Amino acid sequence: MAEENKTQTSDTAHLYDSTTLRSSAPSRKAAAGRQKQNTEIPIDAIPEVHVPGWVESIFGGPVISSMKFLPPDRMVTSLQLSSSITLVLLCFLTFMITPVTGTAWFAISNMIGLGFVGGLLHFIIIGIGLIGGMYGVFQRDQRALLVSYCMLIIVTIRFAGSKVEFGLSFLPEGEIAQKLLLILYAIFLVMFIELSSGIIRFSMLDTSIRTGEVYVMGIQKITSRYHKSLLIAPSIAGIVALLTLFINRIIPAIIGVIDPVSANRLRESVELTSVYGVALGTMVIFMIIAGSFAVNLPLRIQQFRDKKTN
Amino acid sequence: MAWSRKSAMFASLAVALYLLGLVLRNQQLVTVAVVLLSFLTWAAFRTSHADVSSSGRRIDDAQNDEGIELQNILAMRKVSSSRIFEDGEIDVSLRLQNRSNTSKVLEVRDRVPEVMRIKKGANYVLMELGPQRETEISYTIETPLRGFYTIGPVCVRVQDAFGLFHNEKEIHLYEDFLVFPKMEDIKDAMIKSRVPKIFTGAVNIRNPGEGSNFYNLREYIPGDPMKKVNWKATARQDGKMMVNEFEKDAVSDIIIIVDSRKISETGPVSRNSLVYSTRAAASLSQYFLSRRDSVGLVLYGDEITSVDRDTGKKQLYVLLTKLAGSMAKGNTPLKIVTNRIMPHINRGSPVILLSPLEEDPTIVDAVRDLRSRNFEVTVLSPSSLEFEFDARRLDRTGYEVLKTERDILMAELRGLGAYVMDWEPDMMLNTALTGARGF
Repeated sequence: MAEENKTQTSDTAHLYDSTTLRSSAPSRKAAAGRQKQNTEIPIDAIPEVHVPGWVESIFGGPVISSMKFLPPDRMVTSLQLSSSITLVLLCFLTFMITPVTGTAWFAISNMIGLGFVGGLLHFIIIGIGLIGGMYGVFQRDQRALLVSYCMLIIVTIRFAGSKVEFGLSFLPEGEIAQKLLLILYAIFLVMFIELSSGIIRFSMLDTSIRTGEVYVMGIQKITSRYHKSLLIAPSIAGIVALLTLFINRIIPAIIGVIDPVSANRLRESVELTSVYGVALGTMVIFMIIAGSFAVNLPLRIQQFRDKKTN
Repeated sequence: MAWSRKSAMFASLAVALYLLGLVLRNQQLVTVAVVLLSFLTWAAFRTSHADVSSSGRRIDDAQNDEGIELQNILAMRKVSSSRIFEDGEIDVSLRLQNRSNTSKVLEVRDRVPEVMRIKKGANYVLMELGPQRETEISYTIETPLRGFYTIGPVCVRVQDAFGLFHNEKEIHLYEDFLVFPKMEDIKDAMIKSRVPKIFTGAVNIRNPGEGSNFYNLREYIPGDPMKKVNWKATARQDGKMMVNEFEKDAVSDIIIIVDSRKISETGPVSRNSLVYSTRAAASLSQYFLSRRDSVGLVLYGDEITSVDRDTGKKQLYVLLTKLAGSMAKGNTPLKIVTNRIMPHINRGSPVILLSPLEEDPTIVDAVRDLRSRNFEVTVLSPSSLEFEFDARRLDRTGYEVLKTERDILMAELRGLGAYVMDWEPDMMLNTALTGARGF
């Protein structure tokens, strides 16, 4: 009732031809009276603070990005498709060339007298790698991809005794064919890791473009450059691996020019054909590469090209 | 060349697999490691190739230095204005040139101050820049807060296609600009000096005389010129002749005192006492200077900064620049300020104090001193209580207690003859000034 009276007295419409006049500046007290009684802090007023867990503290930041992606664009979809095809082929290659013998689970299952369990576990590990990878690729879930990578690497960890052994008996026995198959497997593994991480990278980029955070000029040129690199880089890596693995043939061939007898001895050397020969090859090849970096070859090539054009 | 997290992961995985392969004599693991290492090496080789030795210069300078050979990436920036008001917009265009003979995929980020908002375009661009080509990035930034700002440096990053390694350079290209406080159009501040200055000039004071601004109506006195007769008013007064009276022209001094003590920044960044005070000071300066008064400014926080009284447009920019750079610091009492400035200003000049009136026990003494020397004191007090209460940082009980204390202080100041207005956050400056004058 009191409020009603107050409203009537403050309304001056009846005095000034239906026009309400204010005699003074808006009252601060009146404004204060209109404020809500609730003193609770609104949710949107509290900034979102992410307190890192101990794992994140060790890594110096979030281990897994919690970024939400927009639906995949054409580039991401094509990467998902090629990644899934690579994964299927990789799993098939892994199954073919990685025998269960020599693995830890094979040894344990034999110890407990259940030999088939080792084989089953081997199969399950590859299966987890495949399913996790597929899930990670299509859901763009980095955790699932990480699990897949781990599984596909764990399954290869076995004592091999320097011999190249395959899981399936019909695969070639010749050294060259065996090594080529190994290189093919390694390239597929690296390609899967690259393509799947490319999905995340391009999804992030696409989301940033669509939210206006970043602007991309000539996106087709950038993606075509990536596609070209996807062809070139594995080929280069394959050639380097080829040189490394075939060092037992390259070194005797070079020595053979000077001394054919020593070259023959080298060809028959067990060490050179074993994994230590590969280690030697790695050392030789990467010493050459390190040398090219030491003389700053990339920059010199660029300077040479610049001068040539000018 | 910097490593990414991905390349570090690749490298550690390769090394681990390589060593494990040697230990277990497993060629499969060694082969994977070698392929991984080769992959990494190729990416590193490509990234080193894409060197970004760069230099940064302004477009204007570049016109004069065409003959100088520049390396690789060159950035040039142009901004539409170096002086702007709050809520204004600045157009920035950044030209990038690739002077090398290899095309580059560049990530370019032109760093803008954090408080600025990108309104149009983007300052972060990913692009493929061909050999001997140039491109231009344009974007518009909004300037919500006053101050001195700098755009730059330009960060350029060249990355390999797989994102394994990158080369990053900062092009030290900077563009400074100044954001003045926003001004409100004031129709009438109702603040006029009763004491004319000795210098000549057509400025109004609140006394009738031979001026140009209408002051009021009065009855005709024999001797008044006929051109002053207001015939419409005469007709309304049943034949009683009425004449227009005009304000007397004179130059007056206006002193604006802005409280920039630390307490004046209480509240949100864009809604606090200092923001409101600087905007009010800017608006008042513009109004008085357009009236050809001479305006002086005193800012006090950790030290007392003053701009001597002067007139004209140049003075307005001097005042705006001082206001743009004012920072909330220190706790200098008002009494010290008044003691220092009083000997230098004409008695009777209007003094406008813009202050939250908090945490200063000398306020009453200072105003009393000013009033006792016949200064016309107007206090506009943006209340940090309101800002805090609006932002829900203050509960109702605390607000009421503090408000009561504030009301008592204001009543005391009014009792000394000062015009005091508790300036609410949403109130227009014009309304607040009217309120202070009791209209």
